[in-house]
Amino acid sequence: MKQLVSGNEAIFQGALRAGARYFTGYPITPISEILQQAATHAEEDPEFKFLQAEDEIAAAIATISASLAGAKTFTATSGPGFTLMQEALGWGHAVEAPCVFINSMRVGPSTGMPTQPAQSDLLQIKAGSAGDYYPIAFYPNSVEESFRLTITAFNAAEESLSPVILLADAFLSHLYEVVDLNAIEAEVVPRAKEPLGRSRRLFTGTAHDRMGNVKTNDPEAYRDWLNDLKDRHLGVAEKYPLFEYFPGKNSEILLIAFGITSRIISPLKEQFSVFRPIRIYPVLEKELREIASSYRHIIVIEGNDGQYASWVEWATGRKVMRVPCLGGGFKLQWIRSQIEARLGEVR
Amino acid sequence: MIDRSYKKLLKLNRFPHTWCPGCGIGAVLKNVAIGLKELGWNEQNTTVVSGIGCSGRMAGYMNLDAVHTPHGRALTAAEAIKTVRPDLNVIVLSGDGDLGSIGGNHLLHTFRRNPDITVFCNDNEIYGLTGGQAGPTTPEGTKTITSPRGEHHQPLRLNRILTAKSPCFYARTTVYHVNHFKTCIREALLYKGFSFVDIISDCIELNGRRLGFKTAHQMFKWFDERFHIVEGVRDHLENDELGIVKKEAEVEVKAEAKTEVEGKLEVLIEGLKLLTLEELKHFDGTNGKPIYIGYKGNVYDISASPLFQGEKRMRCHIAGKDLTRDIETAPHGEDLVYHFPMVGRLKVKAEAEK
Repeated sequence: MKQLVSGNEAIFQGALRAGARYFTGYPITPISEILQQAATHAEEDPEFKFLQAEDEIAAAIATISASLAGAKTFTATSGPGFTLMQEALGWGHAVEAPCVFINSMRVGPSTGMPTQPAQSDLLQIKAGSAGDYYPIAFYPNSVEESFRLTITAFNAAEESLSPVILLADAFLSHLYEVVDLNAIEAEVVPRAKEPLGRSRRLFTGTAHDRMGNVKTNDPEAYRDWLNDLKDRHLGVAEKYPLFEYFPGKNSEILLIAFGITSRIISPLKEQFSVFRPIRIYPVLEKELREIASSYRHIIVIEGNDGQYASWVEWATGRKVMRVPCLGGGFKLQWIRSQIEARLGEVR
Repeated sequence: MIDRSYKKLLKLNRFPHTWCPGCGIGAVLKNVAIGLKELGWNEQNTTVVSGIGCSGRMAGYMNLDAVHTPHGRALTAAEAIKTVRPDLNVIVLSGDGDLGSIGGNHLLHTFRRNPDITVFCNDNEIYGLTGGQAGPTTPEGTKTITSPRGEHHQPLRLNRILTAKSPCFYARTTVYHVNHFKTCIREALLYKGFSFVDIISDCIELNGRRLGFKTAHQMFKWFDERFHIVEGVRDHLENDELGIVKKEAEVEVKAEAKTEVEGKLEVLIEGLKLLTLEELKHFDGTNGKPIYIGYKGNVYDISASPLFQGEKRMRCHIAGKDLTRDIETAPHGEDLVYHFPMVGRLKVKAEAEK
């Protein structure tokens, strides 16, 4: 049955479809609705557990611990809460716990503009926690895709044994669209990791070898362990090379936009070629390099001051032009004028 | 012969351990392992969670599935594990700095939500692993490397905070008062709800020597001077008292529960067997028979008790006997018995004949 569904509802329903049995979070705009749905659902379904945590630190730790205990788990937050979750995110990679972190972005830094959408937590997904780790992150741009990608995120988490990040933004979270979620078919990867209470393993954030023995001064063991982790994560990421590409007619200019920005600039598809990365991290290096090679100019339009643009520059080895939509200002007319201005500079 | 089977619960292949000679953590680890062993808790039904610090390394030496969390997050992790897996016994082994300082917020809120987990806090009043900085429980005036002229602030009174609501279970003991320590461990493990054992422990190398103690034993003697044991179950502990604080749920809830039990008894009475003490003796758990005990004229089926599993006796309690007097003198209350189904009545005559 077709229904009017919001982005937040689609994310929650997607998690249920993927088999999530535990949700914990702390109220924050714009994902408070997910908390509300989880609390209501937990009252109806005794198999589903909900905890309103005392802060995002606890929420993130509980998400990972409950995952180790054997349930598929997820949590949701926005930028400031995601900052508090960084500690647990690093730990989640170290103890190899499959779970999903949802970050619906709003304008930062700090409290910023709580009700205004942004796309400014891209660097936070890969570099917010200490040390080297290799997260996987997806970013939908519609309500239906929010549902699908939530399931994909759970699947990637089970395969990579790590916390996978699903990005959204304040706009998408509160966007209502008509979809039939029940008609969407999706494959679900079951839990394979052995739950707690079966053997004698140690799950620790301290450096350890493959067996879980603490090794705090053994570079060899650390390298082995980290390389294993990296290979596994990058291998799983390769299974999901998700992007959209609309080659325009005779266009010399490639626009790169993702999430809600890609929806806003969709009228520009007639004039320019448009590339929309869906897997935000690891960066779609090969795809970007291939596609960018046939264009003279690349313009990255995003809700931050050039975070993805710098990744595109790194991936393609070329200078790109930037249109930063800051402070929640995503207006097509303004974006169009900015593109003209950038092109005016080089012509 | 001394029963050393608790060692199966320790990863002896990882020994020698990381702690200094004279440290109290070894005693905590050993006695907790003994407590778990006595209850029949093992890798099939128990998970141990710890935080960071010297005491946080305890989880790594337990021969169970163990979770070693970031600093201060052990309680949150333990609660989440218990929520998802109510079948697991979840225990937390950590220290005062981890639980009281960086994990202070989690301590308050986990205590408030009252999950069924047991916390053993190695309270040595110092940050040992990082070299002896003042901690949340460091007494006022104590010299540490971050309070060179004596600690300026009052310590966190865990005995006040963790007894501020009911229901609650808070026990304070020391590594020196071994028998009391063991009782506290057993009571805490058996308590349904959030139970916290505050174990006053020594850090001789990074705290004691600075305070003028030459050996760990001198610190133990100091504990003996500072604290005294109070008998029975209390509703609060003073700062110099060792003992157990156990508070039941609020009065209204208790009244409700009582009527429920009475109602249950009415229903049960029809199917009750009438057993003499002689007949009761047969039901001692051997050859697959159920385990019955007598209490106050009634017979209870305690086959499900982890204490009696595969054994005819647990300490002084023997299966297939009238335990009325035993339980009255036992450190735990009679409520333990009421957890089990009542299956019959004792023939009073038989008792008189005896």
